[in-house]
This record gives sequence, structure tokens and C-alpha cells, in this order.
Amino acid sequence: MSTWSPYDMNGGTCVAVAGADYCIVAADTRLSTGFSILTREHTKVVTLSDACVLASAGFEGDRKQLHKVLGMRQQVFAHNHGGKPMSCPAMAQMLSNTLYFKRFFPYYTFNLLGGLDKSGKGAVYTYDAIGSYERTGYACQGSGQALIMPVLDNQLKSASPLLYPPVSSATPLTEAQAVDLVKDCFATAGERDIYTGDAVEIVVINRNGVRRETMPLKLD
Amino acid sequence: MQPSLPSHHPLLGPDTAILAAQQQSASASFFHNQRTNTAHQDANSNAVLAPASGAMPFTVAPPQAHAPFDAGALAFDAAITNAPPGAPNKHTTYPYVTGTSVLAIKYKDGIMMAADTLGAYGATKRYKSISRIVPAAPTTLVGAGGEISDFQYISKLLTELNDNDVIRDDGVVLKPREVFAYLQRVMYNRRNKFDPLWNSLVVGGVDQATGEAFLGTCSMIGVSYTDSHVATGFGNHLARPLFRNEQRDDMTEQEARALLEKALRVCYYRDKNSINKFVIGTVTKESGMKVSEPFSLSTEWGYDAFVHPTKHALGSW
Amino acid sequence: MSSVGAGYDLSSTTFSPDGRVFQVEYAQKAVDNSGTVLGLRVRDGVVLAIEKPVISKLAVPGANRRILSADRSVGMAGAGLAADCRMVVNRARGECQNYKHFYGSAMPTEVLAERIASYVHLFTLYWSVRPCGASTLVAGCDQSGGERTPQLYLVEPNGVVQRFYGTALGKARQSAKSEIEKLDLSSMSAKEAVKAAAKIIYQVHDESKDKQFELEMTWIAPETDYEHRRVPADMLAEAEAEAKAAIEAMDE
Repeated sequence: MSTWSPYDMNGGTCVAVAGADYCIVAADTRLSTGFSILTREHTKVVTLSDACVLASAGFEGDRKQLHKVLGMRQQVFAHNHGGKPMSCPAMAQMLSNTLYFKRFFPYYTFNLLGGLDKSGKGAVYTYDAIGSYERTGYACQGSGQALIMPVLDNQLKSASPLLYPPVSSATPLTEAQAVDLVKDCFATAGERDIYTGDAVEIVVINRNGVRRETMPLKLD
Repeated sequence: MQPSLPSHHPLLGPDTAILAAQQQSASASFFHNQRTNTAHQDANSNAVLAPASGAMPFTVAPPQAHAPFDAGALAFDAAITNAPPGAPNKHTTYPYVTGTSVLAIKYKDGIMMAADTLGAYGATKRYKSISRIVPAAPTTLVGAGGEISDFQYISKLLTELNDNDVIRDDGVVLKPREVFAYLQRVMYNRRNKFDPLWNSLVVGGVDQATGEAFLGTCSMIGVSYTDSHVATGFGNHLARPLFRNEQRDDMTEQEARALLEKALRVCYYRDKNSINKFVIGTVTKESGMKVSEPFSLSTEWGYDAFVHPTKHALGSW
Repeated sequence: MSSVGAGYDLSSTTFSPDGRVFQVEYAQKAVDNSGTVLGLRVRDGVVLAIEKPVISKLAVPGANRRILSADRSVGMAGAGLAADCRMVVNRARGECQNYKHFYGSAMPTEVLAERIASYVHLFTLYWSVRPCGASTLVAGCDQSGGERTPQLYLVEPNGVVQRFYGTALGKARQSAKSEIEKLDLSSMSAKEAVKAAAKIIYQVHDESKDKQFELEMTWIAPETDYEHRRVPADMLAEAEAEAKAAIEAMDE
């Protein structure tokens, strides 16, 4: 016990997919440390508003703090703006600022923010732990990232982010097709990644609001 | 304790008056005296926060590496107590007197929590009647593993919170999940200061209004979760597999007690930092909160595997 | 007051030529105008009672309490400016918590009363503040060994602290005090004292000035495990009914 670390890696995988009029944010519900599973039903996803959902993997202590801070700021914003919640792009910028504010003692979290932009199109924002971020059409973060990302690249039929002039990389898939793909991704990652499993929580944001469903994964 | 007066006021006592006088510039802050008290510490924790060049990004090495309880540790203590003014603060880098696992499960009527009563000084069984399960609110128990002094400090925080509720006399009392949320923030804030409270905490109780049972646990760096069964330390490896097989939220009190005793026995057999002197605490909607008198369990050390530990592991150890 | 108007009543930092500090005496006046406050220290406990005028028909009954707890077993009844009372009680809470944090046991009532007195006294020493317009009755029950010692103290705006078997503050303090003197406090139980206190408050209440009032009453007794608690509603109702009946009997 000669060293002490303020960090732990509690695992977890997040996936987000944007479509023309919907956005999917999903994360598994396993919480691990080392080779131990701490609990099998622990949400990593927070619904910040009707247009904004955040999922984070990494260190659970920081994740809890970050989600609380953003939740509070969102609430204060709404109070100051006649009850109107923060837009998804605004929340995206604020999340970046929040992460960067702790540049030299970072939140050890890997975040995906999903929602609808002002025109009602799906939006996905992907971050690193210290706040650099980018809007994309789909993204994956956490312990299963390397397993899932190539599948998304291959299956979503999205335009390449390398194209110039840029083309939206939102997927042309329908909502139902995209949800199916996300489920397949988690089932696949759960086979090989010990930090992904137990269940996947899928949050779908569309013009009707926010819907949440869960699908069991393997417990091993 | 100066609730209703600006703190630079002469009424608040000579120390503050002097501080206020020293701060002649117009920027005298409303909370000036509090800031002054902590400024020294803050400056130092910033010094700790700034990573030395080439340091690993997510690990923090203590100023010196020591094996616990060797002669070097005593020298380390001396370095703390004899530190010259202005030297960096030394924070906890390892615990001194420790408690081992706390186990807890939900059952039909509420929650049941168990732990032994040992405070171990390294490998020495130093204190044998330590309460590691204490009432934290009218229907909430908190159990702790890890540094006993830190836990006793936490208990005091909780006592003060409760006293304030009683004094206010407005009928508002802390619910289990509120105690849990509070303790999570306390633990996480201390880890942010690189001055952790060296404990794993278990919070269990019943919400009096809804009758809903609550069980959660929080580590010293703020990793926390709720579940139908929890266990800290060794218990996470030894007891939770049993819980996963046998615990149900609708089990009877007898079944719950039998399961906890089984788990305690397993922990006692395999954890050398434990003793055969346990307490079990319960919280139920009907009969409230109880912590039992200490008791011991029957043991059987004649198992073949105990007598010949290497019989089936030839060559490994 | 011969020196009134001579300019010696403008500051609490100047004595009048005949050795008085008028501002402090005026603060005492604020206390004397208050609703009647009663404290009885009896054999096994302490009872605090307040006659609280109903300022409006729209006021919520039971709200705006004037008897507060400073610690689990310390009660404080304030007479005078409500805001000043609250300030003093907040200070007392801080003192109690601090003491318990440091010494691990409840603050002795006498020490608390003296600390509050010192605090209140400070407000008589500086030109920049006005004296505290509140007197407080401090009720406590110290434990040493198995012994419980109920105690009652009075802290006045001038910073004086006194210990009492029973005393009264506010409008009807004189008649209330002479009623208290008739009681055999040393043999009375806290339960009996609750009824006695209710009776006195009803007796000294001046119908012609304040029509309606609310009786607020707390106690420290074996029944409360020596903690400071409100007198239970049914017990209070019973005491009030008996008090009213006794007064009607007297009138006839």
C-alpha cells in the first residue's frame, strides 16, 4: 500500500448514434474494479433534458460528480431562461468547459453526449477526458471502444468524416435499425471485453421525447 | 459559529479583529477569516496537485514509499510532527488501525448488516470491541471498514447532522439515501484534496415514508453504488458470491440472518485480520433500528483442507 | 430618568454622569414589552412557557416559534425582538456544537448561559452596534454520574446572567412572578409544572390588551428522556383546559 491513487478504472462502454430525426445513447450497466464486478445494474447514463443525454465510462467517482454538476447547471440555466432547457450544442460546449476546467486534475471520464440540435437533427458529441470534443454522426467510448468502433464504421453507412467538402455523418438508418445495431454492438463487445456486460441501457431521443429501454447481456 | 454578523466585525473576538485590521486594503472579504484559516492548506494541496514532470498521469506517489508498521514508518511520523513551518502537508498514505469487511443484505423487512468488532494495528489485534456499525440517522445504519479514526470522525459528522435535525424540530430527518449522498460527497471531496478518509462505507436503512429498503456502499475515492447486497474489502471476494447465489429481497429475517452468519463464518475462516466477535444491525420499517450485542459463531477447524492446506496444490505453495 | 435628553442616551459607549448606560436600559424596555415568558425549574425537570400574541388571523398556528432548542437538552425561550432572540439562539447552537465536538459531551448549562451572556454583553461595548433587544431563559438538564440537575438561567441584554428556580419576563412579569412564588417548585414534578405554567399564563393574560394568544410550551423531563421537547399536543390541550376552568372558577 505504498502508493495511493485518486483514480480507479471502473470500466463500461458507451455508444451514441445520430439519425436524421433521432439520437440513440447507450451504455452498459456493469461497474467493475480490477477483476471484480462491483454491481451489475448501475446506470452510466443521465438524462439532462428533453434534448440532451450524457453517458460516461471511466472512474465512477468522477462520473457521479460530473453528472451532478451538469445536472445542476442545466437546472440553473432553465431557471434563468424561463424554464427553457439548454440546447444540445450549448450543453456540448459547457461539458467541454467543465472538463477543461479540471485540465490538471482531470475527470477520468470518457463522455458521449447525444441529443437533437435546434433543427431537430440527431447530434452526437464525443470527448476526451480533458475537454476536446467534436460533433460526429456516431461514436463509441470506454472499455469496449476498440471492439465496437470498427463495427459502427462498417455498418452505419454514414459518410466518411474525411470527405471534403464535409458531409453529415449521421446515419441513414431508421431508428429501429439503428437500435438493433447498437444492441448487436453491445452483445459483441460483451463477448470479449470483461468490463462490458450484464445489461445495456438504450436511451432514444426523438421528437416525442426521451425513451429508455434495457436489454440483458451475458453476466460472465 | 458566527452566523449573523460579518466576520470582520470587532464583536467576533480579538483574533478576527486583528485579522481584519491587518487586511487594511478595501478588499476585506466577508469570509475573510475562513479563507485565512485554509489558505495555507490550499496552497499546499495545489503544490501536491501539480504533477512533477514525467509523473504518471493518473497515479500519485506519496512523498516517500514505506511498508506499513516498520521502523521507517515511525521515522515518517516524526517527519510529520516535526515538520518545519511551511513544509508541505502530509496526508494519509496508509491506515494505522483498521477494520475489515462489512457485509449487508436486503431482506423482506428491510436491511441487515454485519461486521466484526476488531480494530487491527497492522497484524496486531489491537482493539477488540470497536463499533464498526453505528446509527447514522433515525432509520439508517452506517458500517465501515478501513481506518478506525477516520470512521469515528465520520460518525461525528453524522451525529452533528442529526443533532441539528433534532434541534430544528421541524419533523425533517435524514433518509438513508440522503445519508448516502452526503457520505459520497464527503469521501469524494477528501479524495479531491488528496487527503482521503481511508474507509469503505456501507449505508443501509429504510425510508420511513415509503418503507423502501436502501443499501449502498462508497469507497475512499468516491466509487459508490447501490445493490441488494454489498460487502467491503475481503467481503467483496468472499461473501458476495454467496450473496449472489442466495440473497433475495423477499427472504425472511431467519433466512437473512442465516445467510449473513454463513458469510461471516467464511470471512472469518479466510481473513486473518478478523476475529470471532460480531455484531449484526438491522433496520426495519416495523421495529426500527437495532444493533445486536456482540456474539461469536461456532467454528470447525478440522476440515481436511485446513489441516493439509497444500494437499491439492502440490508445487504451487 | 433625570438625564434623558441630555445626550447620554445616544450611544452605549458613554456613561451618563450618574453612572448609567441608557441604550442598554432601553433594550431592557423592548424585553419588558414582550409577551409573557415563564420558566419553572422543578424537582425533575424544567418547563418553559410563552404567551404569544396572535398578530393576524391569517398567521399559521404553531409557526414562528419563540422557544427553540440550542442542543438536544437545552431549551431557550426568548423575550423581546424576535430577530435578536434568533441571533442569540443561533450563537448558542454554535457554542453547544463546538463544545460537543471538542469535549465529546454536552455543554453544561451554566457554561452555556455564561457564554451567551458574554456574547450579549459584547453588544453593549461598541459604538458600531446596538444592544441586544432580547432576554433569554436558558433551560437545561446536566448529567453527572447518574444525577440529573435541572437548571434555569436568565440572560439579560446587559450581559447579566442569573440562576433561578422560577422567573418571568415580559408584560405580566410582576404578577407572574408573584404567582410563581406561591408554588412549591422543589417538590413539584415537571408534569405538574406544565399545568401550573399554563395556569399562570392564562391567569396573567390581559384580555383588554391582546385578545387572542397562543400558548407555546416546552419541557425537559423524565418523560422526554431529559431532552428539550415541545409539550405534546394532548397534554398541552389538557393543561390549557384546566387553566381556563380554574380561572372561570376563580371569577365566580
